[in-house]
Amino acid sequence: MNDFTNWDILRNLLLAVPWTVLLSAIAFAGGGIVGLILLVIGIGRRKWARRAVDLYVELFQSTPLLMQLFLVYFGLPMLGVDVSAWLAASVCLTAYSSAFLTGIWRGCVDAVPKGQWDGSASLGLSYLAQLRLVILPQAARMAIPPTVGFLVQLVKSTALASIVGYHELTKTAQILTNATFQPFIIFGLVALIYFVLCYPLTKLSRVLEVKLARSDR
Amino acid sequence: MGYEFDFGALAQYLGLFLEGAAVTLGLTVVSSFFGIGLGIWGAAVACGKRDWARKLIAAYVELIRNTPFIVQMFFLFFALPSLGYRFSALQAAALAMTLNLAAYAIEILRAGMQAVPAGQSEAGRGMGMRPLLVFGLIVLPQALANVYPALVGQITITMLESAVVSQIAVVDLTHVADFIQSRNFRSFETYLVVTLIYLVLAVLMRRMLVLGGSKLFLGRDP
Amino acid sequence: MRLLSTRRLALLAGMAFAMSVQGIGFVQADELDDIVKAGVLKVGIFEDFPPFSSAGTDLKSQGYDIDVINALAKGLGVTAEVTGITGQNRIPSLTAHKLNLLVSVGVSDERKKVVAFTAPYAPYSIDVVGPKALSVTGPADLAGKTVAVNRGTLEDTSLTEVAPASTDIQRYSDYNGVISAFLSGQAQLMVVGNDVGASVLAKQPALEPESKFQLLNSPSALAINQGEERLLAKIDEILSTMKTDGTLDAISRKWLFIPLPAEL
Repeated sequence: MNDFTNWDILRNLLLAVPWTVLLSAIAFAGGGIVGLILLVIGIGRRKWARRAVDLYVELFQSTPLLMQLFLVYFGLPMLGVDVSAWLAASVCLTAYSSAFLTGIWRGCVDAVPKGQWDGSASLGLSYLAQLRLVILPQAARMAIPPTVGFLVQLVKSTALASIVGYHELTKTAQILTNATFQPFIIFGLVALIYFVLCYPLTKLSRVLEVKLARSDR
Repeated sequence: MGYEFDFGALAQYLGLFLEGAAVTLGLTVVSSFFGIGLGIWGAAVACGKRDWARKLIAAYVELIRNTPFIVQMFFLFFALPSLGYRFSALQAAALAMTLNLAAYAIEILRAGMQAVPAGQSEAGRGMGMRPLLVFGLIVLPQALANVYPALVGQITITMLESAVVSQIAVVDLTHVADFIQSRNFRSFETYLVVTLIYLVLAVLMRRMLVLGGSKLFLGRDP
Repeated sequence: MRLLSTRRLALLAGMAFAMSVQGIGFVQADELDDIVKAGVLKVGIFEDFPPFSSAGTDLKSQGYDIDVINALAKGLGVTAEVTGITGQNRIPSLTAHKLNLLVSVGVSDERKKVVAFTAPYAPYSIDVVGPKALSVTGPADLAGKTVAVNRGTLEDTSLTEVAPASTDIQRYSDYNGVISAFLSGQAQLMVVGNDVGASVLAKQPALEPESKFQLLNSPSALAINQGEERLLAKIDEILSTMKTDGTLDAISRKWLFIPLPAEL
């Protein structure tokens, strides 16, 4: 009933790419915003705030993303929120990325030498000014390579959204495989497409790391 | 809209949960063992002299690191049979996890090896030790000590990512959760319990590995 | 006049009665009204379940179920919105009111505890399908063989009941996985509806898949949430019209190549 040519296969796979990219972008942007908020809370002086953020990060880094996805997909309706696969995947990946990003960024803030804090304090800067003018800019530079590196992880993670039915690249591949039975070509193409999406980011992350390390000398 | 939680309904499945956890842990142990083994070998090649070998390893590492694990697994399980290589679900899962971990391990260990001062291997060779012994007794232990935390982290990641093998019908912890909730329709409770089990496993595993590491690398900061 | 004269009492009683009846009306705004008000009927379908629902070359769903869904929506005066679901999450999705309706649901007592069924609307029997070369004549022959099945479906439960202990039952999260496993040889046999088996045969004649034996004859019904009497009545009414005016028969001939069985 359905006769797919190779071009049909490639076309349908490529049509799914924007959905993968969209999910990644939303999760990265949303996660970035939430991560930033959590960062500010976490580097504050209140111990309980720091511990709470630590716990948040630990939870996401110590449980499978697939489980997080299932919990959101089946849990939110319990609170009365109607959840489509798309919404569940977006919410879940946003939370997931916020935890990892805040973990990375806090690590970078902590890596700023103590001397910087002391030096800026001796200049009479307030806590907020210390952060804004001295600490965060240095932390931000350090944070760029691993953040870009995490974006790669995020793009790959969108493949899990296929399991709850979101029609991104991997899900489309599965549907096409059964419609045409060419799993080798299809999964081969899919791997290639993910590679094309991710490798430039990986490369960028590495180039940035070298550049930033060099400029420190 | 009210929903009545019923965690008690899960009590009868305790045996299944344990079986699933055993499969998850088993897969993690096997893939860690072979993956790190492959990683050591690959890192050695990557630090070596042969250009073509270094490029090959680099290509392998980049391929794995820039494609999703689930796609790698589907490829091994669904696509390879059309070439005549048929792996069982468990074999495909173990292989996928091993190959995946190995790629990251190569990168991690390569960094660890390059951080070992050149003087160390020079001294070894100066004493007349064969290159293999220099590598095994001098460079490798120091490299491992350097990057042990990163390796532990990667093993943990591998265990958590293994949840995905449930999709090719490997009866791991996630598959057990899927099965149970397909019978009693208590999806939220089941997935919550299983998430907690994964959490406990991950935290315990990390603790134990770090503890083990500090014993192995006495006198160093693991 | 005394405060509580008989007339006033009667008036009060009458008002109280009128209010309580009206109160019942307000409290019970039911799903049928919700659907009509929203103008949308949300239906859960299997995405890889030919010929009931599967992907066309533009990846939009087509099939027996799709045609029935469209006819239902027309009868209700709304548009249909289909969502892909899996065997294990479709009932929770329905009871969580993410969906109004499920199609291709096998009737079972266990399910009757959780959802309400309409009259049957499609013929469906569950068969064990395998390559011609493999000799399997009954459940006992499943011993030591690998069988793929869609987790959480009627196929899953009926297979689990009759398969010998040494059968390796591979449970996949959707028909996608089941068919992939069978076609790639990862599973020697698969348990699917006889129609799914036929369409796989049409695409992969080399494998020569054939139905080995029937596990269950179970005409499909539609499932909705319990307690929605008006919705159930309305859907049954539309289905009944489709049966008498030949619409359903035409759909059956188009997708299943057989006339609508008399028992429906």
